Amino acid sequence: MNEKDQYKNRIELLQGTLDMLILQTLQWGPQHGYGIVQALRLQTGDVLQVETGSLYPALHRLERQGWVQSEWKQSESKQKARYYRITAKGKKQLARDLGRWERIVEAIGAVMYVKPKESES
Amino acid sequence: MKWFSNFGLQRRNRELQEEIDAHLQMAIADRVERGEAEETARQAAAREFGNVLLVQDVTRQMWGGGWFEQLGRDVRYALRQLRKSPGFTITATAMLAVAICANSTVFSWIDGTMLRPIPGARDTDDLVSLQRGERNFSPTPPFSYLDYRDLREQNHTFTGILAYHHDWITLTGGAQPERVYIANVSANYFDVLGIKPMLGRFFLSEEETRPAIPSVVLSYSLWKTRYAEDSAIVGKSIEIARHPVTVIGVAPKGVVGAMPGIREDLWVTLDPLGTDEWRMTHRSGAAVWLNVIGRLRPGVSRGQAAQDLDTLMHNIVAAYPNDHLGANQITLDPMWRSPFGANGYMAATLPVLLAFAALVLLLTCANVATLTLVRFVSRRRELAIRQSLGANRIQLVWQMVLEGMVLSIVAGAVALVLTSWTSKTFAWFFPANSNPVILNGSMDDKVVVGIAVSSLLAGMLCGALPAWRSSHAPAIEVLKAESASISGGSRNRKLLSGLVVAQIALSLPLLICSGLFLRTLRNLASANPGFEQDHILTASVGLNIVGYSHDEVQVIRHKILDRVSALPGVKVASFTDWIPMTLSHKGEDAYPEGYVPHPHESLQVYHAEVSPRYFESLHIPILEGREFTPDDDEKAPRVLIVDQTAARRYWPGQDPLGKNLRIWGRRFTVVGVARNSTHMLVNESPEPMVYMSFFQQGYETIVQVETEGNPVDLAPAVENAIHEIDTRLPVFDVRPMRESTQMASSFAVIQSALAGMFALIGLVLAVTGIYGVVAYRTQMRTHEIGVRMALGASRVDVLRLVLSQGVWLTGVGLALGLAFALGLTRLIARLLYGIGANDPVTVASVVTLLGAMSLLACYLPAHRAMRRNPVTAIREL
Repeated sequence: MNEKDQYKNRIELLQGTLDMLILQTLQWGPQHGYGIVQALRLQTGDVLQVETGSLYPALHRLERQGWVQSEWKQSESKQKARYYRITAKGKKQLARDLGRWERIVEAIGAVMYVKPKESES
Repeated sequence: MKWFSNFGLQRRNRELQEEIDAHLQMAIADRVERGEAEETARQAAAREFGNVLLVQDVTRQMWGGGWFEQLGRDVRYALRQLRKSPGFTITATAMLAVAICANSTVFSWIDGTMLRPIPGARDTDDLVSLQRGERNFSPTPPFSYLDYRDLREQNHTFTGILAYHHDWITLTGGAQPERVYIANVSANYFDVLGIKPMLGRFFLSEEETRPAIPSVVLSYSLWKTRYAEDSAIVGKSIEIARHPVTVIGVAPKGVVGAMPGIREDLWVTLDPLGTDEWRMTHRSGAAVWLNVIGRLRPGVSRGQAAQDLDTLMHNIVAAYPNDHLGANQITLDPMWRSPFGANGYMAATLPVLLAFAALVLLLTCANVATLTLVRFVSRRRELAIRQSLGANRIQLVWQMVLEGMVLSIVAGAVALVLTSWTSKTFAWFFPANSNPVILNGSMDDKVVVGIAVSSLLAGMLCGALPAWRSSHAPAIEVLKAESASISGGSRNRKLLSGLVVAQIALSLPLLICSGLFLRTLRNLASANPGFEQDHILTASVGLNIVGYSHDEVQVIRHKILDRVSALPGVKVASFTDWIPMTLSHKGEDAYPEGYVPHPHESLQVYHAEVSPRYFESLHIPILEGREFTPDDDEKAPRVLIVDQTAARRYWPGQDPLGKNLRIWGRRFTVVGVARNSTHMLVNESPEPMVYMSFFQQGYETIVQVETEGNPVDLAPAVENAIHEIDTRLPVFDVRPMRESTQMASSFAVIQSALAGMFALIGLVLAVTGIYGVVAYRTQMRTHEIGVRMALGASRVDVLRLVLSQGVWLTGVGLALGLAFALGLTRLIARLLYGIGANDPVTVASVVTLLGAMSLLACYLPAHRAMRRNPVTAIREL
């Protein structure tokens, strides 16, 4: 398996979660790809490092699905960059993703935090 | 790849590059701000970003818009696969091309005739052909001018109704008179057809009955050939039958008149010289001379229009009952099947042939599907590997369908090239004759669309079915399986068997139909038409169309008869004004005295004007009474000879001699009864025929000569003899009777030629199909057969083993095909002659033929298997 397939697989694993994180980040205002990476790093205290090989495909897919829109703008440091903005459709998707995420966390939590005597391992 | 890149794609690629550059620039800027050296920052940012090219590649796949690029990749993959097996590719393409060409050829003929009934006319779908009285095939013109005018002026359902009368005449004024085809038309003729003049103008409504000056409209081709495209022709005077007429306009290129399949060269008004007042002011007899076509108002259906006209006709009949004895109801036909002109015959023949061609295409698809399936079975490893690498089933099926499509598109392109030639072969079927037949196929956008549609459908059929079945195979099993068990699996075996059965079942009806057509053709050729066809020569003399006076004409006729009779090699010379079995006939309403017609009975009879010795030269016996004599001329009482059909219908059980008939209001006395003979088609239902004396009623002059030897040899002598009287006498259509009467069987020839060709293709496909499948399966079972033989099976056992499956498939195919054929032959029953639609001899011999060929196809591989050395067979895995 080559490097390309690794990227693809990682997207698939993260899919949903990464989408949700990107959409959540864009809630605070339009942002470019680099900005999204930085924001996620800052917010998670460097725990989540989003690979560029996952980020850009995800951004382009979200745009195709109509959940984000993009436009070219000048950044504060006079760098021309592509800014992504969440759409109304994207906000609905975010709400759905969040609902699903909460259910998963709950379900996984129910498994992980069971009392030791009931666990067979 | 250059083909698939487009501007949008380039722009997106550039933007992606810029986006990534911006990302890197910002990362470097941040690092520099944090105090890193520029060079270190650059390297760190690049490391952090990862492989730029890869990120771009993966991102691009998210665009989805790359489907075009994806398709390009898939097509190239399909082409590579097809190149790997050139034998399959070439065979399949050739078979599909032939089958598609069969369809497109027949369709181009339909397109050129039925779908373009009146070239140059606007919206021919709104035009309907009017018929009065009993519906019949190739009828005579049904309306008088006054009836037509009443219908035209009083209807509420047409935007316009035109009338025309087709005829021929000579163009004089040149060195030699030239025969041209002419139509007397109502003033609104071109208007209703929706044709604008290319030069000058068309007729004005006040010119319809009695124009101030006789005027003529030329066709484009006549203007081009005879008048050298003279752009100042309008206003000039030309001579028609020695009368000066003024050219007022030229019709646009391609316009040939309103009778489907028949050419007209010039058009004049209904009574251009004002000499035909009688015909314009009566409602019956010779005044019934017009064919009528109407253009429906928008939103009016044919049924409503027919009802409207029927009501009007009813009133006309009530007002002039004596002019409208017999049947008078109005029927309307769309132009594609208008009984006037050629389309009545076309509509009866061509759709059936198209259905046959469609069968051939279906059969070919089954055959190519078989080949494809066999090929896919041997490609199962490749497919399984692709499947395990993540290709889903839809993708695999799509890839295989695509291969089928590539094949069929290439085949369609080949068929397109072939059809541009075959479409023009339709004219070959019509022998030279006195009618200006201009039937041919046409190759236009409709045909191209037809080819595209049929090749795409064929591609789907060839590719999708086998692909769907093959892709079912679970990848793991295929990869695990040893080669010995790759014999296709039971699912594929069933599909293969199904395809073989389908091929036999489809080819059987084709063979039976072509057998029936061939025997029909033979029956037609050997049928006795009731008159002599060999040793007869006919020649038309354009006497009444060159402008001689009536007395001059009579003198010249007698001179012709004298001179031609005296020629060596001539047994009998006579005149007629009609030749049987040339798809033309003349009809009139006849009122037999003392006969009470049934309600709505058509009183129309066929008539021909013949001179003394006519019956003698054609060997038609006079059963009662006498032949015409030279004394039956204009001074003598008018006499008739009727045929048996007329005698039996009008005077059953009585002696017809001495009975009277009124035609054109004149009284004719029956002096003889002639034996029945064929009038139009060998398989016609007999219509009453009356013969009148040529010297009393003859109009057109056709010299009919019975010769001692080959009639063709006498043609120059006869022509010379006529020209010796007057060199300006136009002589046309000098040909043996046998040649003229070929016209009557031309549609049978078309049917049997095409059906025969299609059936041959069907036979070859079915036989190669079953051979291919049995051979393939036997080869796959080589190992098994070797084991069987090693264990003691005899060669006969092996033969039986292989043959039995072939026999089984053949049997099922024949049974299904027979059931199918019984349904299909009912459709062609109308076109057969002298043979039943389920003729047991034809069916039995076709079943035997197909069965025997299939068995032979099964025997060859069985024989090969039987002779294998078991030891090598076992080793072969």
